[in-house]
Amino acid sequence: MADIQIRRTAFERIEYAIIISTLLLLVIATVQPLLNLLAISLSESSRVAGMSGLTIIPSGLSLDVWALLLQHPLVQRGIFNSMLVTLASTTIGLLATALMAWGMSRPGLPGRRLIFILVLVTIVFEPGIIPDYFLMKQLGLLNTYWSVIFYKLVNAWYLIILIRFFEEIPGELLEAAELDGANPFQVFWTIVLPLARPALATIALFYFVFHWNEFFHAMIYLNDQTKWPLQVVLRQFVVEGDKLAIVGANNAANNTAAALINLRALKAGMILITIVPILALYPLILKFFTKGTMTGALKG
Amino acid sequence: MAQIDFGGRTKIRSGNVPGKSRHFAAALRQWWPYYLLLMPGLVFFIIFHYVPIYGARMAFEQVRIIPPNIWVGLKQFQTLFASPVFYQVLTNTLIISGMKILFVFPVPIIVALLLNEIRSGPLRQWIQSAIYLPHFLSWVVIAGVFIALLSPTDGAVNQITGAFGFRPVSFMTDTGSIRWVLVISEIWRSAGWDSLLYLAAIFAIDTSLYDAAEMDGAGRWQKIRDITIPGIVPTIATLFILNMGLFLSADLNQVINMQNDVNRSTIDIIDTYVYRIGLKTGEYSLATAAGLFKAVVGMAMIMVAHFVSKRLTGKGVW
Repeated sequence: MADIQIRRTAFERIEYAIIISTLLLLVIATVQPLLNLLAISLSESSRVAGMSGLTIIPSGLSLDVWALLLQHPLVQRGIFNSMLVTLASTTIGLLATALMAWGMSRPGLPGRRLIFILVLVTIVFEPGIIPDYFLMKQLGLLNTYWSVIFYKLVNAWYLIILIRFFEEIPGELLEAAELDGANPFQVFWTIVLPLARPALATIALFYFVFHWNEFFHAMIYLNDQTKWPLQVVLRQFVVEGDKLAIVGANNAANNTAAALINLRALKAGMILITIVPILALYPLILKFFTKGTMTGALKG
Repeated sequence: MAQIDFGGRTKIRSGNVPGKSRHFAAALRQWWPYYLLLMPGLVFFIIFHYVPIYGARMAFEQVRIIPPNIWVGLKQFQTLFASPVFYQVLTNTLIISGMKILFVFPVPIIVALLLNEIRSGPLRQWIQSAIYLPHFLSWVVIAGVFIALLSPTDGAVNQITGAFGFRPVSFMTDTGSIRWVLVISEIWRSAGWDSLLYLAAIFAIDTSLYDAAEMDGAGRWQKIRDITIPGIVPTIATLFILNMGLFLSADLNQVINMQNDVNRSTIDIIDTYVYRIGLKTGEYSLATAAGLFKAVVGMAMIMVAHFVSKRLTGKGVW
C-alpha cells in the first residue's frame, strides 16, 4: 500500500488525476443528496421554501422538524414497531439459521443432500406474493407482527454461508470434545458458537439490515397503522404523498405545529429518521461485510 | 438477495453417507441431536416456502367466496396471454431488465478498476466507505431521495441542467424518463457495493504478473487490459449470467416505490401487476397465474444460468 511508484510522465499524472476525480465525483453523487436532506431538515422552516437542492448547509438552524417528527404518534409507533420486528426476526432467525447450519454441516448426516436440495429449491422457485399472502391469511397471522417477523426468517443464502463456515471447523477440535464426553449440544454451545462469533455477527448484521429495510410485506400484511414499521410510514408520507399520514394527526396540537412546518423539510427529516439505525451500524457493517465479501466472496 | 461463490460445494457431494447403509432406526439413534437442531429451520422452510408452492394451485382454480374453489385448468393462463395489459407488463419488464444489463451491469466493473488504480490505501478506503452506503438503504428511502433530487422546482438535477439553460423536467412523472430513473437509481444504489466483488477478484490476481509486466515496460492501460480484466472475467461471467437469471424480476421493491399513476404505463412490471390485480383488485387466480408464469420461466432461466456458468467458469449460482 505504501509503495509509491515514481510517476514517470506528466501524462501519467493527468491520468491519475482523472481517475481520482471520477471517483470523487461518485462520492459526491452518493453523499450530497443525503447531506442536502439533512440540511433541509435542520433549516428554519420559513427559509426552506427557497433552498437549493445543491446546498449542504442548513439555512438557519432549527430542530423543529426532528422534534415534531419524533413526537408524532405514527413515527413513534413506527420506530417501536420497526425495532420490535427487526430485533425479533434477527434474533430468532439467527438462532434458527445457526442451528440448522450446524446440523447440515455434519458430513455423515443421513438425508443431508435431500435437505440441501429442499433449501436450494426455495431459492430458484418462488411462487409469488399471492400464495404467500394466502398462507398468512390461513395461518391467521395477517395484521399481526408475526406475519412480518416470519418473512424470510431463515434466509437460504445466509444458511449456505454458515454451512460453509461450519464445514471449515477442524474435526479434531470436535472429536477432542466428544472424547471428553461432551454431547452434541454441548459441543455446539461451547465450541462451535464461540468459534463462529465473527460469522454470526456478520449474518446478524445482514439480517438486521434486511429486516429493517423490509417494507413490501409489512405493507401488504399489516392493515393496522399502529403496527406499521417506519418504512411503511415513510412510504405513505413521502412516496405516496399522503400528507395526512404525518400532518393530519389525531392530535390537534400536532396538527397546527405540523401545518407551520414546511412539508419538504418534514419529508427530508422522515427519510433521515428511517436511516439512523443503518448509519449507527455502518462502521460495523463496513468492518464485517467488507471483510466477509473480500474473503468469502459473498454478496448481500 | 445474496449471491455466493459456492466453492465448498464439492465437499457436500463427496461426503459419503455411512448412515445410508445402516438401518433407519440406527441412523436416527446416532443422529437425532443434529436433526433436532436443524428442525426449527427445516419446519420454517416447509411452512413458509413449500406450503405456498402448494398454494399456487390457485392459478388453476376459480376462487369462490364459499370454498371449495373450482378446478378450471389453464383458463387463467389463457385469459392472461390474451390480455394486452399482460403483454405491456411483460414488455416493460424485459425492457427495464435489458436496460439494467446494458447500463448498470458494467458500472461496478469500471468502479473496481478505478479503485484498484488508487495507490493510497486510506484514500481508497475512504472512497469505498462513502460509495457502499446506498446499498444498505431501503428502496423507500432511495425513492424519497430521488423524488427530492429530481424535483422540477428545487431538485439538484434540474438546478444543474437549468444552469445550462435547459427547462426543468419532472422526471418522476415523465413516462419517457422514468425508466432512466430506474437505471440511474440502481447505479446509485449498487455500483459502489457491487464493485467490491470485482475488487476482491482483482486483489486475488497474482501480483507477480504486474511486476513482470512492469519490467517489460507495460503502461497502466496495458496492465488493465492484459492482466486485470482477464483476471476478473470469471467473476464478470458469473455475475452476468446470474443477472440474466433474474431477468423477469426487474426489482419489485425498486419499481413499486418509483411508480405513480402518471408513469405507470412504462414501468409496470410483472410483480407490480401481480400485486395490483391480486391484492388491490382481488383477481386472485389471475394474479397467481401471472406470478406462477414468472416463477416457472424465472426458474428455468436461473437453472440455465447456473449450468451455463458452471460449464464456462466452473462456478455456479449456488
